[in-house]
Amino acid sequence: MTALTRPAPPFSRRRWQLAPGLVFTSLVLVLMGGGLLALILRADSGPSELWQSPYLQGVIRFTAWQASLSVIGSLLIAIPIARALVRQPDLPGRAGLLRLMEMSLVMPTIVAVSGLVAVYGRRGWLAEVTEWAGGSLPWNLYGISGILLAHIFFNAPLAARVMVQTLERVPVSQRRAASQLGLGSWQLWRVLDWPALRPVMPGLAALVFSLCFTSFAIVVTLGGGPGATTIEVAIYQALRFEFDFNRAALLAFVQLLICGGLWWLVFRKNRHQAVLPDQSSSTDTGSLRADSAGWRRTTDRALIGLFALFLALPVLAIALRGVPWLARELTNPRLALWDATFRSLAIALPAGLLAVAITLALLAATSALKPGLPRSLASVSGYLPLIVPPIVLGTGLFLLIQPRLGIQGYGLTVVALINSLMALPFTLQVLRGPFQAMGTPALRVADQLDIRGWYRWRWLQWPRLKRPLALALGYGITLSLGDFGVIALFGSPAQPTLPMLLHQQLGSYQVAAATGTACWLLIFIAALFTLLSRPGRVASRSAMRDTGVTHTGVPHA
Amino acid sequence: MLEIDDLLFRYPGQAPDTPGWHFNVGIREGECVALTGPSGCGKSTLLNLVAGFLAPAGGDMRWQGQNLGPLPPWQRPVTTVFQEQNLFDHLTVAENVGLGLHPGLRLSKTQWSRIEAALETVNLGGLHNQRAGNLSGGQRQRVAVVRALLRPQPVLLLDEPMTGLDDENRTILQDLLLQARDQGKTLALVSHDIRDRQALADREVSDFFQPW
Amino acid sequence: MNLHPLLRAALTTLILSGAGQAYGKPVLTVYTHPSFAAEWGPGPAIREAFEDRCGCEVQFTILDSGGAILQRLRLEGPGSNADLVLGLDTSTMETARETGLLAEHQAALPELALPVAWQDPVFVPYDWGYFAFVYDTEQIDNPPTSLEALVNAPDELKIIIQDPRTSTPGLGLLLWMKHVFGDQADERWQQLQGKVLTTTQSWSDGYFSLFMNGEAPMILSYSTSPAYHMAVDKTDRYQAIPFEEGHYLQVEVAAVVESSDQKALARSFLEFMLTPDFQRHIPLKNVMYPAIDLGDELPEVFDRLIEPTRALMFSPETLRANRQAWTNEWLDAMTR
Repeated sequence: MTALTRPAPPFSRRRWQLAPGLVFTSLVLVLMGGGLLALILRADSGPSELWQSPYLQGVIRFTAWQASLSVIGSLLIAIPIARALVRQPDLPGRAGLLRLMEMSLVMPTIVAVSGLVAVYGRRGWLAEVTEWAGGSLPWNLYGISGILLAHIFFNAPLAARVMVQTLERVPVSQRRAASQLGLGSWQLWRVLDWPALRPVMPGLAALVFSLCFTSFAIVVTLGGGPGATTIEVAIYQALRFEFDFNRAALLAFVQLLICGGLWWLVFRKNRHQAVLPDQSSSTDTGSLRADSAGWRRTTDRALIGLFALFLALPVLAIALRGVPWLARELTNPRLALWDATFRSLAIALPAGLLAVAITLALLAATSALKPGLPRSLASVSGYLPLIVPPIVLGTGLFLLIQPRLGIQGYGLTVVALINSLMALPFTLQVLRGPFQAMGTPALRVADQLDIRGWYRWRWLQWPRLKRPLALALGYGITLSLGDFGVIALFGSPAQPTLPMLLHQQLGSYQVAAATGTACWLLIFIAALFTLLSRPGRVASRSAMRDTGVTHTGVPHA
Repeated sequence: MLEIDDLLFRYPGQAPDTPGWHFNVGIREGECVALTGPSGCGKSTLLNLVAGFLAPAGGDMRWQGQNLGPLPPWQRPVTTVFQEQNLFDHLTVAENVGLGLHPGLRLSKTQWSRIEAALETVNLGGLHNQRAGNLSGGQRQRVAVVRALLRPQPVLLLDEPMTGLDDENRTILQDLLLQARDQGKTLALVSHDIRDRQALADREVSDFFQPW
Repeated sequence: MNLHPLLRAALTTLILSGAGQAYGKPVLTVYTHPSFAAEWGPGPAIREAFEDRCGCEVQFTILDSGGAILQRLRLEGPGSNADLVLGLDTSTMETARETGLLAEHQAALPELALPVAWQDPVFVPYDWGYFAFVYDTEQIDNPPTSLEALVNAPDELKIIIQDPRTSTPGLGLLLWMKHVFGDQADERWQQLQGKVLTTTQSWSDGYFSLFMNGEAPMILSYSTSPAYHMAVDKTDRYQAIPFEEGHYLQVEVAAVVESSDQKALARSFLEFMLTPDFQRHIPLKNVMYPAIDLGDELPEVFDRLIEPTRALMFSPETLRANRQAWTNEWLDAMTR
């Protein structure tokens, strides 16, 4: 067959798809497992008292309880918000709200908590308004209600954003049929919305559960007392104050078991769908719905307005307090803030890039492997960083590799590496869907035409992944940018990163400067995130440029 | 000659008590053979086996005496035209065709001109820079067939290529495929539409399968 | 030998850089925490002052907290990079001593200005302060003036405290209560519980996010906190309350690391630590009392701070023996 002797496409051998992913899978497993193991090996006390201690049992119960409540609260709020947003596609400011909802995930906790307190606290804006109206706040921010409020603040927007996207993907034909039948809101829910949402719910619930289960700063600040202690807090205490490696490792193991078990269930049922927004373009859907007009239009708008206020007020509070200081100091070129910003970027950029690279490698390996243990490991390993406590990982790694901070940059490299791993669960969520979007027919055509290896990446994957890749990079960078835990653990030579600077200012009465830093951190993260997740324009323009380049060879093109 | 001898197939995960397929057929070079039979009799399955998308449980496939079994899809002498989703929507029409000539689009000027010219013959001359996703169903099928014909592979596997198309598009495609047959391509056609089979097929075969 | 000066300089550089040190100077690595080493803390000025006299380079490695310093030391063991640790305190001292990783200071300490006698072969104090409740004068007029009164105050009075498991002042209050109430401490904690708005993980979480937001009129802090507000923020709004029973004392200390190859340099730093050149940066930059008498150099606002009648402190041995049990007692009382 003479025509078929063309050389194979570059990198088309199977090992090129497998090797990087398997290497990274092993890396993640070794780092996570090694971290845990290093702790266990260093444990010098006898068998742990874990199973007898009522305190630790209480901690485990409370952790699971508050996480479950947070999941229920977040999802129950997210569903009506998502439906209202889908019903009202022409709402002014809708795109901005969607962007804000995507960002809730990357907002540094300490900044958000201070904003929440300023609005919903005992002396917050809301309390002032109710007192002015002659009443008093109907809630107490400190205790389970505060934990729930903060967890809902972080997770409900994310959940609602994912649901909006899922609902908008319902095929137009189905929506048209429903609209011709004139289905009401409840029937639309049963026939259209719920069947569409159901597949993403397990993954979404698992994600929110894991995020709340491992919650630390929120629980300690707003929890009210030692009754509100999560496993993560108990681990921190065990490691930092009691040097009880045994207990820390065991608690970490319990956390791994509970959250890991949940993810395993989600994966096993094969219910897993990507649950982070990938900003696929949406089509006009609301106008087709019989339940989008009339009085519903008003209630929808009110609901969305309330939700937007709920999200925006704390952000506004941070901005209002921080902006005066920023405005005064902004022109000071020797401000520690600038150095810290550059230093943060120097860690966050490589961390984000690495996170995206690892994600692609993991996805490539997963799709090249047949079902079995290696594939399960490759797909699960990316989610491990969500449930292995960073302090356990960090301490374990410290024991393993002993980063020498005296040597410039080494410690920071480790920090960037860990940060990139911590971002994996999120970058994976963003990229999994688009990466696997090629259906069987397209794969068959690609196989038959020998579009494999580099060519498949260049012509079939890359054009479609550009936008999700930018978004994933955005998540990777901003998550690393806001990270305090890992870098605090490894310590630093005298120069701090942005979140460290914030903590240092907080720790030494520099309240005005701290509000300024918090505000700047928020602005910076928002700007980066918006830049990288800008929908449509960038991607489509470059796509057009691509085709232009291709056709320079075509006569009269 | 494309020879299918005692080719056995069962879908993975298929219940063991349901029958699989047992295929036997021969198609001569330059011939267009229509495979007919009730739905579910395995017409598309056979085409997918020949293309290498499915792996047989036993038996032989040979083209000009060469055993196709061990070859991966990209080394087989065949091009498939499916009922739909033959094109990559994010790429332009010209790129979609060009990928059939070189999987990395490393094409010479002459090759790009050939693509242009070929698109002209199916009345798609002005559309080469359009994204495939913006085309109508009939236009997309024309592009898919143009790509199949520009490829050097001698065998065309046509899996309901004209289903759902209007008469105008149908006629254009039929003419194109007949030309291809006259130029020596070997065609295996699956179509439930008798007009397609009458226009294209040299003969119909309905006894190509039995339960296994 | 009659070497050309340039050649001699080159040789010296070569030899010294062989020891892996920049600029040919010995490097003193100090593990410390942010409130000391941050840009606005006493660290930078002190580093400069010491580098001027030692012909060496001082490098700070900033760790999260005193607890983190101790943990890092334990994790690194005898292979530690540190020559000196600065920022441990009286509650972590004994645990640190037990690691065997710290060396004796071997110095004749000058006269100290601490409220308690200090004789310790390993740890050298560099500053001290009392834990105290700071209140917002714009929110309440007559705060309770003793622990007893605080415990018995109506539950409408809200206070913010810190978790003794994760925070130094938090542990301070635990010990304070224990010192004052002894065996009745757990009952008193239960009485106090209704007034505790929240128990934060760290002092800064409570102080910044909550107290400065006006969430509660009182917070557990230091008796010196008002000095910063008065001297730097120019406000008298936040004041400490003198408690009749006396106040629990915290002393911050430094020590030489046994495995250091710069022990002589580290010891000279400890001696420098108790001179005015070091101590004058403490009052306003670390917001604590200096460890020696600064005379007129002590900022005027320090005269306006509360002066506790009694300094309360458990011996480090008692503390080490009972800390775990007392913490559990507190946990029990607060979660009951």
